[in-house]
Parts: sequence; C-alpha cells; structure tokens
Amino acid sequence: MTPSPPAPRSSLFAKYFLALFAAVVVPLLIAGGSEAWFGHHDQRARLNDLLDAEARASAAKIQDFIDGIRDQLAWTVQLPWSDSIDERRRLDVFRLLGQVPAVASLTLVDATGRERLFVSRIGLNRIEGGFDHSANPAFTSVRSGRAWFGPVTFHAGSEPFMTIAVAGNRAAVGVVVAEVNLKLIWDVISAIRVGRTGEAFVLDRPGRLIAHPDISLVLRADETATRPLQALRARIVARNGQAVSGRDITGQTVLAAMAQIPGVDWSVVVKQPVTEAFGPIYAALWRTGALLIGGAGLAAALAYWLTQRMVGPIRLLEDGVARIGAGQFDHRIELATGDEFERLATRFNEMAGELAVSQERSERIGRLKRFLAPQVAELVERTGDDGVLEGRRIEVVVVFGDLRGFTAFSARAEPETVMRFLSDYYDALDRVVSDHGATLTNFSGDGMMVLLNAPVSCPDPALRAIHMARDMQMSVQSLLLDRRVLDHRLGFGVGLAMGPATVGRIGSEGRLDYTAIGTVVNLASRLCASAGDTEILVDAVAANAVGGRAPLVELKARALKGFDQPVRVFAAVTGEGR
Amino acid sequence: MTRRDVIALIGAAAVWAVPARAQQQARPVIGYLGSESPEPYASRLVAFREGLAETSYVEGRDVTIDFRWAEGQYSRLPALARDLAGREVTVIVAPGGAEVALAARSATAKIPIVFELGGDPVALGLVASLSRPGGNLTGVTSLSVEVSRKRLEFMSELFPAAKTFAVAVNPTSPTSGSQSKNLRAAADSLGLQLRILTASSEPELEAMFTAVREMRAGGLVFTSDPYFAYRSGRLAALAIRHGVPAITQTRDFPIAGGLMSYGGDFQQSHRHTGIYAGRIIKGERPSDLPVQRVTRVELFVNLKAANRLGLALPPWLLSSADVVIE
Repeated sequence: MTPSPPAPRSSLFAKYFLALFAAVVVPLLIAGGSEAWFGHHDQRARLNDLLDAEARASAAKIQDFIDGIRDQLAWTVQLPWSDSIDERRRLDVFRLLGQVPAVASLTLVDATGRERLFVSRIGLNRIEGGFDHSANPAFTSVRSGRAWFGPVTFHAGSEPFMTIAVAGNRAAVGVVVAEVNLKLIWDVISAIRVGRTGEAFVLDRPGRLIAHPDISLVLRADETATRPLQALRARIVARNGQAVSGRDITGQTVLAAMAQIPGVDWSVVVKQPVTEAFGPIYAALWRTGALLIGGAGLAAALAYWLTQRMVGPIRLLEDGVARIGAGQFDHRIELATGDEFERLATRFNEMAGELAVSQERSERIGRLKRFLAPQVAELVERTGDDGVLEGRRIEVVVVFGDLRGFTAFSARAEPETVMRFLSDYYDALDRVVSDHGATLTNFSGDGMMVLLNAPVSCPDPALRAIHMARDMQMSVQSLLLDRRVLDHRLGFGVGLAMGPATVGRIGSEGRLDYTAIGTVVNLASRLCASAGDTEILVDAVAANAVGGRAPLVELKARALKGFDQPVRVFAAVTGEGR
Repeated sequence: MTRRDVIALIGAAAVWAVPARAQQQARPVIGYLGSESPEPYASRLVAFREGLAETSYVEGRDVTIDFRWAEGQYSRLPALARDLAGREVTVIVAPGGAEVALAARSATAKIPIVFELGGDPVALGLVASLSRPGGNLTGVTSLSVEVSRKRLEFMSELFPAAKTFAVAVNPTSPTSGSQSKNLRAAADSLGLQLRILTASSEPELEAMFTAVREMRAGGLVFTSDPYFAYRSGRLAALAIRHGVPAITQTRDFPIAGGLMSYGGDFQQSHRHTGIYAGRIIKGERPSDLPVQRVTRVELFVNLKAANRLGLALPPWLLSSADVVIE
C-alpha cells in the first residue's frame, strides 16, 4: 500500500465550524448588539418619561397631603369673631385634630393678631389666651384666602415640623396657624414605589431631608449624611429636570427624576436603582449571551455531526482507493449513505472490478505472448478474447527444427559461447516464425516446435510452412556459416507434417503452454529427427496440399519410429539447392 | 470492619453533622426584658412581633426571643438584665418604661438596647439626643409622660366646678418627679389644687381610691407609669367600686370599664420597637437610629362608665375622642 498522504493543512471540521459559527453567531451578535444598543437608548428615554411621571405623581401625593391639611384648616376660618368663643368653633377645632393627625397644635388668631384659641395634643389648651401674634410671620405673611407655609424646623433637633397659616376670605374671620408634624408624610412617601425597589424622598428648599421611606434618616436630621441626595437634586436641576444617574445614600447607583411642589417649594425626587431600571436590557444582554453560547455550541455540534458524516465516508473512500491502488482489486467500499458518497463508492467499486478484469486479461495476454506470434498475440489482445486458444481439433501444420551436433558443441565450447550462440539462434528463428504468422509453441534446448493454422487459422498453411521452413534454414545456415570459422561442426534440420491435431492450452495456471497433440506432431518430430543438415522433410499430406506450388522432391519412404508402415517423405528444395 | 459498618458509620456521622451545622448558623437572640408577666404584655407583644415581621424576622423561624419577666417586682429588673447581658444576646429589648430601660443600660454598655418608654429619654440620661442617641441605646418614646398635664386638663374640663383633683404617682418611678412638677405647673395655669397620692403596691392602690372618695376630689389623674398601665383592669375595677372618675395613660383602662385614657399609642410604640430590634439584628448600630416619638396620642372614652358616674359627656369631648366605647 502506498504511504498515506500528509495530514491536510486545514480540517473539514474547522471549515464547517467556522462557516456554521459565522452563520449562527454573527447574526445573533448583530441582533443582540443592536437590541442592546437600541434597547438601552429606548429604555433611557422611556425611563426618563417614566421617572418624570413618577416624580410628578409623587409630588401630587405630597401636595395632596399638604392641601388636605390646608383645606381642613380653612374650615376653621369661616366665621367672623364675636366677643366670646362659641361652642361650635371649639367643636370644629377638636374635630380637625381628630381628623388630621399631622396637626400637633393650632392657634386661632383674630383680625387684630390676638390669640383667641390654642389647642394642642401635648400642651395645655388656651382659651382667649390673648397672646399677640401681630408680629408673627405666619400672621403677617399670609394673605387673605390663601395659605402660608413656614420653613421646616426640626423639633428637638429631630422631628420635622412646619407652620401652616391659613387666612379666611375676610379679614374679620382671622387666621389659623397650625404646627404640622411632617413625620406623618411617611405614610405617603413609604407607599410610593418606583418600579420594584425604587422610592421617593422629599427635600426642602435648603436641601434638608423632610420625608424618606426610612424615617430614621429624616429623624437623624443629619445634613452631611443626606448630602448625596442633595447632590442628586443638584444634578437634576443642572440637567434641566432630565432624569440623571447618581449615587444615593447607600452608594447604590440610581436613576433619579424630580418634581417641585409649589407653595412649600419642596423637591420630590424619585429614584430607581440603575440595575433594576435597566434590568430588561441586562436581561436581554444575558439572553443574547446565552444564545451566543448556545449558538456556538450548536454550530460546533452541527459541524461535528456534518464533518463526521463527511469525513467517515471520505476516510472509507480514501482507504478503499489506497487499497485498490495497491492492486487489491477485490476490495469493495461499503457505503450506504444514500447520497453522492454512496454513488462515488459505487463508481470506485465498479472501477475496481473493471481494473481486476483488465488486469487479469493483460496477465493472460502477457502469458500468451510467450508462445503466440506477435500478430496473434496482438489479435488476442485486441479482441480481448482468448477463445481462440480453447482446446479443439483442427488441421494443423507442425514444424520441428533442431540443430545437428549441438550436444558435442555444447560439451566442447565455453558456456558463454554456447549461450550466446543459442541466443542468436533463437532470435533468428523467432523472427522467422513471427514473419510467417506461425505460433512458436516451445523451445527445448536446441529444438523448437512451431504450429501453423492454430490457434489462428491462416490460408494455405502447408505452403506457408514450407516457405517458413526454407527461411528458417536460410537464417540458421547463415548463422552457422558465421560460426564455422570457430570450427564447429553444426547443422540444422527441419521436419514438417500436416494433419489433424488437438490444439489448446495445457498446463497449470502458473505455467501455461499452447501446444498440439496428435500423430501429426509425432510425425513432424520424427521427420525432423531424420532430416540431415540443411534438409527440410515434408510428409505426404503437406506435400499433397502444396501441390506443385513449391518445389518438392519425393524421397524414398522411410521407416520411422512409432509408425508401422514406411512413411512417404518429401524434401523441400532449399535456396541452396537452386 | 465490614463495608456495611463503614456505611453505617458515615450515615451516623452525616446525621450528627446536620444539626451541628444548623447550630453553627445560630439564630440571633433577642433578650426581651419585661417588667410584668406575659399576660399584661400580650397586646404589646403582638405589636412588637408585627414590627419584627416588618423587618422580616419571625420568632422561631429567623430569631429566638429570650424572655425575662420581673413579675411586677421592678427591683428584680437589674438582675434579669444582667442575666440577659451575660447570655450575650444580639439585642436587648427593654419595653414598658424607664425602669426597664435603666436596668438594661446598667447591665451592658456593649449589647444594643432598644427601649420603649413614655418619658423623655434625654432627660432620663439614656441617650445624648433624640437624633443622635450616641451609645448602645435607642428606642421609642410614647409621649405619655409629656401628656400627663393633658389628662388633668381633660378632667378639669369635664368637671368645671371641681377645683381639687387627686393625682396618682408611683414614687419609685424615675419620672415621678418630673411628672409631678409638670402637673403642678399645669394646675397653676388652670387654677386647680392637686392632691398627690402615691402608690407602688397593691394595698396602696386600694387605699388611694378610698382616699380620693373621701377627699371629694373632682377626679383621679394617673401619672404615666408602667406600674399603673399594666394594672388597668385592677384600677378600672377599683374606680367602679369606689365610683371615682379617673383618667390613665392607656386605653386598657376605659376598655376595662374606666372612664377615660389619654396617652401615646402603645401599639405604635411597640411596633416601632420591633422594627428597631430587627434593624439592629440586620447590623445597624443603635447610635445611628434616632429615638422615635410616636405620632399618635389617643383619647379613649367609656360612655358606660360615664353613665355609671352620672356624667353627661360634652360634645367637644366626644368629637375629639379617638374611640368612644359605648
């Protein structure tokens, strides 16, 4: 078997993988990348709107809280003051305290700024206390029919309070001044949820934290601790109210938007952790990543599967071709893939079969060439049919020829001389046999046997045989003439006979000969043996067949070994004789 | 040793190892110091557990509560607090008054303490300020002590003719001095006379009501004190028996048949105590948690008790009452 070719530079697997990877992963990458990019963009815009709306909604809720208190307070400044406090006014005030838990205390002041009624949840109530509020900013700043909001103060440095003053529509009804505990905004602010974990907080104008879901942050009243929240507000203001990202108190990165509450001038800021706000985008990115990994895996699996489907048959084919190339023509490539590979394998198998047939033929023909005349061999080769060599019984002319005195010569002469001479001798005879289209069946020592009319029939074999025998004598005699100088006593005799004989191949598969069997062979052989140098002895049948077309002389009948009766013998007249 | 033995051994080791590992992730322990027994505390404990649950702690599941009850003997509180401190609990909860908070503080300066009381923790020296407690204590104040004077005011408005009122004081209470002073100032501005009666034991309570009836005072005003608060049922019974109109700090009193109550919402204060305990277990420092004041001061009125006393409650009182018990 020929050595296997070097390993390929690039494997099918790598090619398929790259191709499938490109086919699966590149579109995924492009889709995922664009989804992430546009998604981020859209989400940012959407979040901006969303947080903005959340901020406005939250501000509205806080505003409702304040407006609710203001509206309740307004009820207490409906009636003008008389000299004494009537029961109804007291009832109104107590009812208000019952309904508005954020109001810690309230003071009713008449048009002159004199305190008429003070009611508190903690301290003692005062009726007609008479304290002068005419210089109180709550009294001086509030305008008729409107509300005034005082600054936020932190009671005991902890709880945020604010003064709200509401004036009646007429000066005569006076003003109500209430202390409002802003801690109660917690109920509102803690109920606000932005997304899942986002929340809202409220800063007053100077940036102090008024409301936060974690009430302890408010109660701590620590401005340094709440600085990140102020920074967040400052960034939103700097960005003209656009949602911004920043850090909150816990250091978490958040997205924040803001809305103002007019009147109190507070800022309601809503914030949502960035991780949550962009959660859908991150989820999409994760999805894309997972798809990429899955796609790559799929591409690899597909590539593996496809290459296995390709490489397996290819290996089989390669192996088969290598075996066939090495001459193992009976090898068959077994493939049942049902596709082109199977067809290819079938072709290879057919080719191997044809190769086997043609090799067998060429071997046979090679063997035939040994004993067939080149023309005959060529004929057999051309027709591809060696049926002519089949055994049969036909009329043949058998020609025997051998040297005289060769045994003595071979004993005397040097082996090289003997072999060289024999070589020349055979060359000469072989040429003559070929020229006459006869079949040289075998050489043995200095003798030879030639057949005419078998295996290839030829017209007038007897005449042809006589002509051939004459040529043989001529070429051998001229060869001997050259050798005479060596003082060798050598001669050459020929005998030929015509008659029916069984012709065909005989011998084993490895050693096959074409020969003729029959009396005619014996006769020709005996005639040759009895022929002298330069003589060509012809039997009666051949002589008869020739008729008069070649000069023949009938000799005296001879008794030949193996023949009961003396045999009629003719001698062909050679060129020497002419 | 056969293979079966080895397998059995491994199995036994696994069985032994599982609870061992469970024990390693020990649940945080709350040391709960109570001045009374569990029964009077029941409603407070419900509120406390609510607050804990808001910080996602549930007793028995995420947290263990180790209770110490003084059974009304306040002198035992310091020893019980020391016991809790010695067990190295995660946080000590000291609800129900200044005595409990002070006992807890005396036991440890390291373990966080969450108190719940009616007085001013700054004045009691428990914390540096409301916004910055500073030490290992923080908690909730219910304003009950501060509103003692309001109780006197309600009584005087209800009995405008009466000029003398009796005041019940627990002399052992750390806030008794400040409350008495507060009430005297209020009496002065309202033009009233006060008769201070002290009681810190069961027989003294009985004697007190007898004294009120005999002195013909307009009514009995209780100062804010856990000793009184946790004996609301007893006080209500005495008030009914002696026909004494009285006002205390806790709603338990009118619910049990007393006339009125005015004080901080204990449900809110105990709930916040639970929230703070949970936040401290989560790792927050008490010094970062400002002391909270309850936002709700509630007025409870029992109409039946009023009828029994032959009182017609004025409309303003009924309209300002948070709850009127019919």
